[in-house]
Amino acid sequence: MIILLHIVLCVGTVVAQATISSWLSINSMYPDLCLVLACLAGFLTNEYKGLLMGLTVGLFQDLLSPGGIGLNMILKGLAGSLAGATTHTISTVTVPAVVMVTLVLSLVCGLASLLMAYPALDGAETFHAISRILAPQALYQSVLAAGIFWLTHKIRQSLSVVHFAQGRR
Amino acid sequence: MILEGPLQVMASIQDSVGETWDHYVALQQVWEENQGLKRKIQELQGEQNRLLEQAILAMEFQKLSLYQETAPLVTMPARIIGRNVSNWYRAMVIDKGTRDGIRAEMGVITNAGVVGRVVRVNHATSIVLLLSDPNVAITGMIQTSRDEGIIQGTPQGTIQMKYLPPLSPVQVGDAVVTSGLTDDFPRGLHIGKIQQVTKAATDLFQSGDITPIVDFPKLEGVLVITSFQPPNTTESPPSIDTLPAPSGSP
Repeated sequence: MIILLHIVLCVGTVVAQATISSWLSINSMYPDLCLVLACLAGFLTNEYKGLLMGLTVGLFQDLLSPGGIGLNMILKGLAGSLAGATTHTISTVTVPAVVMVTLVLSLVCGLASLLMAYPALDGAETFHAISRILAPQALYQSVLAAGIFWLTHKIRQSLSVVHFAQGRR
Repeated sequence: MILEGPLQVMASIQDSVGETWDHYVALQQVWEENQGLKRKIQELQGEQNRLLEQAILAMEFQKLSLYQETAPLVTMPARIIGRNVSNWYRAMVIDKGTRDGIRAEMGVITNAGVVGRVVRVNHATSIVLLLSDPNVAITGMIQTSRDEGIIQGTPQGTIQMKYLPPLSPVQVGDAVVTSGLTDDFPRGLHIGKIQQVTKAATDLFQSGDITPIVDFPKLEGVLVITSFQPPNTTESPPSIDTLPAPSGSP
């Protein structure tokens, strides 16, 4: 059941990326919702679930993108896994930690995708792509991931308070 | 005489009660009717919006259908169901795939002009890379001077025409069409207009920025070219004996 839910979540994210991501675009800059999902799965669970979620959502994204199959799968899997690994290295995953880690992962994944998509870019074009697209996009994704993480954290807290109160009765 | 006063009082009380009933208490029914009518208006507005949307979509597909009937090409209409799944490609997803006979490298057009090329085909969907993507390059020519060049997207999302001959009289505003030298597009399909011509002193060729004729973000339907008669480039050139003799020759 949980696996089915994860698959539905991955498919839903890829469909949202293909259809409504333009609503989330700022100055023609689209957030990579699949990367955000992979990172959040890692932060909220562990590195194994982050890896699995990243691999799945990356595979679905690969099926609908012009690049070679496997690139998004590997990058998103690694991102989810590394995000999950940070839950061991720091005692409490806080919102600033989510921002920092997602920012770094977004930059690395974006740079790898850029080099794979356009291997023949010259220096000026690469600088333009990094400064105008990659860096703002990574910042946007990290803020988006932090916002969703904060919201999920708050919902979890309120649910745990309800459980505690019900247990006391 | 004695009863006149009480009767008048009773009559006025009856009138005022009746008036109150008619204007306030009975208005409850009117209020409910009003709520019902408001709901009905909302439903009809939603229905009107849906029909308007369908009409706009139908008009667009009618234009494509008319073009499909008149153009000397075999095309398949397709609806755009997604865009930009990946951030680094300018692409869109269409609702036709291998089950409909779509293959990779097929050209994609609208009644206005060239859109892009199919790069990946799934069972029920295909990925079309737009002309503004740097990974797409097609051959084109200036419509008036017939000078040929390569049309390619740039990382900034614009379209460039490269390798124009250095002596080409290309000017801003010149129409650019496909030259038909590749297998995916026939000759003469509109691509756009020259927006700017650049040639540095050290460059061997001229190049030009193109304003595309197709508004990519507003596209809702396209035609995939499934077959056309490309120019027979393998045919051997005519021999000197078969050429017509110039006028005035003995």
